[in-house]
Amino acid sequence: MMLDDFISAKKGLFEPGAHTELRAQRNRDRRVTLLAGDIVANTRTDTAGVCARVYRGGRYGFSSMAECGADAAERVLRAAAENAAFMNAHAPGGKPPLPVLARERRAPDAAISDPAQRVYIDFARALDDYVVQHCPKLLSRRIVATEDSMEKLLVTSDGMDAHTVLPRSYIFAVLTAETDAGVPVELFHAFGGEGTFDVRFTDPAACFAEIDTLYERLMQKREGVYADAGMKTVILGGDMTGMLAHEAVGHTVEADIVLGGSVAAHNLRKPVASELVTLTDFAHTAFGERCPLPVFVDDEGTPARDVTLIENGILTGYMNSRESAEHFGMEPRGNARAWLFSDEPLIRMRNTAVHPGRDKLEDMIASVDDGYYLLSSGNGQADTTGEFMFGVTMGYEIKNGRLGRALLDTTISGVAFEMLKTVDMVSDSVVWESSGFCGKKQPMPVGLGGPALRCKVMIGGR
Amino acid sequence: MRELEQLSELILREAKAQGAESAQCVVKEKETHEFNVDGGQFSLMRTLFDRSVRLTVLKGARKGTISVNSFADDAVRRAVADCIASAESAEPDEAWEFDGEPRSESFTDGAAACDTEALFARTKELTDDIAARHPKILIEQLIAEHAAERAVYRNSSGVVSRRTSGRYAFSLIYSGHEGEKSTSFFYGDVILGSLGRPFIDCALVERELSAVERQLDPVPLRGKFTGTVVLAPSALNELVLSTIYGSFVRDSCLIDGTSIWKDKLGEQVADPRFSLSFRPCAEDVVAGERWTDEGYRAADCDLIRGGKLVAFALSQYGANKTGGVRAGCDSWNPHIPAGDKTLDEIIAGIERGVLVMRFSGGQPASSGEFSGVAKNSFLIENGALAGALSETMISGCIPDMLRSLRDISSDVLREGTSCLPYIAFDGVTVSGK
Repeated sequence: MMLDDFISAKKGLFEPGAHTELRAQRNRDRRVTLLAGDIVANTRTDTAGVCARVYRGGRYGFSSMAECGADAAERVLRAAAENAAFMNAHAPGGKPPLPVLARERRAPDAAISDPAQRVYIDFARALDDYVVQHCPKLLSRRIVATEDSMEKLLVTSDGMDAHTVLPRSYIFAVLTAETDAGVPVELFHAFGGEGTFDVRFTDPAACFAEIDTLYERLMQKREGVYADAGMKTVILGGDMTGMLAHEAVGHTVEADIVLGGSVAAHNLRKPVASELVTLTDFAHTAFGERCPLPVFVDDEGTPARDVTLIENGILTGYMNSRESAEHFGMEPRGNARAWLFSDEPLIRMRNTAVHPGRDKLEDMIASVDDGYYLLSSGNGQADTTGEFMFGVTMGYEIKNGRLGRALLDTTISGVAFEMLKTVDMVSDSVVWESSGFCGKKQPMPVGLGGPALRCKVMIGGR
Repeated sequence: MRELEQLSELILREAKAQGAESAQCVVKEKETHEFNVDGGQFSLMRTLFDRSVRLTVLKGARKGTISVNSFADDAVRRAVADCIASAESAEPDEAWEFDGEPRSESFTDGAAACDTEALFARTKELTDDIAARHPKILIEQLIAEHAAERAVYRNSSGVVSRRTSGRYAFSLIYSGHEGEKSTSFFYGDVILGSLGRPFIDCALVERELSAVERQLDPVPLRGKFTGTVVLAPSALNELVLSTIYGSFVRDSCLIDGTSIWKDKLGEQVADPRFSLSFRPCAEDVVAGERWTDEGYRAADCDLIRGGKLVAFALSQYGANKTGGVRAGCDSWNPHIPAGDKTLDEIIAGIERGVLVMRFSGGQPASSGEFSGVAKNSFLIENGALAGALSETMISGCIPDMLRSLRDISSDVLREGTSCLPYIAFDGVTVSGK
């Protein structure tokens, strides 16, 4: 069921001379978790409401209400305007209005289905049964079947009015085994992407091969060794490159973080990476294909377009809101996004990826005498200085150009704009990931990806 | 409150009518007022009007849970039907249980009404204080808010709890800057029952600002050594306590048997000076938990006393699944008793080590093995801080560290949810370039 349009009729209430956004939004979350075969979570969450944001004199006022109706729309418009007035009275911004965007309209996306909870339970149960039958040496297992979706109805005083839907669905499989010494080791894999659960997952058997790979790697990991701590030559797999693109570079070039003192403030139009590195925050289409989580318009009414962040090693741009774009003399390209109806738009990434190069992965591995091939990351964090840290949950030694023993969990770190200058090989294929949430003031689904990179990083260990 | 009570009655009546054998719901209304400062400038004022219903039903020992944010009759009836259908789709599990002892109670906590002018004044005062006393600090983001909430918990066994609460809070993200030099960012959150004190005097805000200002000329550590690591309260919380909670003592790791402490109840797992409790009812916790997810009245509980593991953090479900005992609370309000040395006295006794203000690392393994970056940190040499560090990693094993505890400080962080000291641990690997 799509949101009814109860907000377009309220445009007449927008204050002249102020930039105003009025947004109705619904989020839903469906989740089933099987822990060692027991259903420990069986939840359905629906959140809907309306919000307004008013920009006047360089200050924003915002208000939201957990109701979908004409009265609620009027109340949040009034409260947002009052809040903007409060800010201008107490902390005057003294800025002129934002440049006006052309009026456009994006038609409603197709309605999305809402499968019954039984669909999630049955699918998770089928995968759990497969794990029990085919993965005998496990200490424990956890299977999660989940979907989250956003539906937004947006009207603005200028820019694009739009009705958009972004559903995504995933299976998370977490397998745990023990080493011979009785120490638990764990490995995790997510599969899925854009679409409702019933569209994305039609046959559990289609997931079995990925379960087999996960189990095989876990068995290698339980025989694994600690990495040797220190600066090493590594091949970062595509998942790890995506994490690097998002955490270590992407956040430092979000314009609000630049204004907050990030290292990118002093590096625009300077070399920050090897000439082999080009990095883009894609809006909806990348390398000729639909992005994992496409964005066509943001929550300020700006049509979404790609932002080239690094081109052949040179830092070329920031991701902006309309206000920050005006500050930096750049174009807004649709990066201002909100998670819930009660959230204001923040500058967020969309689908951030390093472009592929010309090297073959096998040649890259063969080129390393003593190093590591790092495949999967559990989490990552980065600093405004560009210093980053990623947890590594799966990797292998490389000895004399060949893959060796698996690694136990470890961490890599470095300073992005130094580490990227050590990139000297880039593989020719891109791996995307989109199952997680980026954390800022609000969570946000994002896509991230890239090819394999050969580079030097610090690795933790013993 | 009467309207929320009536709604909770209606929801349970509807759940019973649709076939639920037992049910519980929480109905809430919340109003939030918030000021935002971005890049050192006031940017935004927000006012949010929220509401929510969370319903859990048991039917034939099958459980379903639904959350919606509408109080409208048709939405509530739809939610109940959806919840029942979810439960019917699940498999039976006799371990699910809500509190079965009838009680009726009411709580009032904190400042229920927002003084918007005073909140703005305290927020402005903090930006002015930082500019005046810490000119090298740039505020990346400051969010100050007041949240007022009215909530009713009701279950089909006759438990009714009502609560009216309010709290102020601020979160601050900042870094040091001088020309093109900058420090790592640092952050902290503080929850307050009133606006009685300047924000800069709350928790460890002033001390942390001063420390970050001294990190503008960090040097990478060369080589690797095994030494003493002093974890500041926030790093202690992020690294050690979250691992104990997430990997050693909670439902999931005990139900699936992956906790390495699953057979350690009653045994020594830490130095005898180390105790850990969760205390939602403590005086220094602002508007703490009053009822658990299963409807039991929240109570303080010890996990580790004198280094001995005395309890797990189990829910009633977890207790039923494992044959254990339910803990008193669900909430994250860790308290560790202070030691008798100041931080300076502890540092004075360390030959070589690192003071870690913030830890940025991968999720520690189920074994407690970890590695990560020591952020906002200082090298300790010959009993004194020798300078700020960059690109320095620490690694170790948390159960080993708890047994190699060197000192606990008398200085503590009280930020409205916890009470935590600095703790020095021996035998941690520190590695640099």
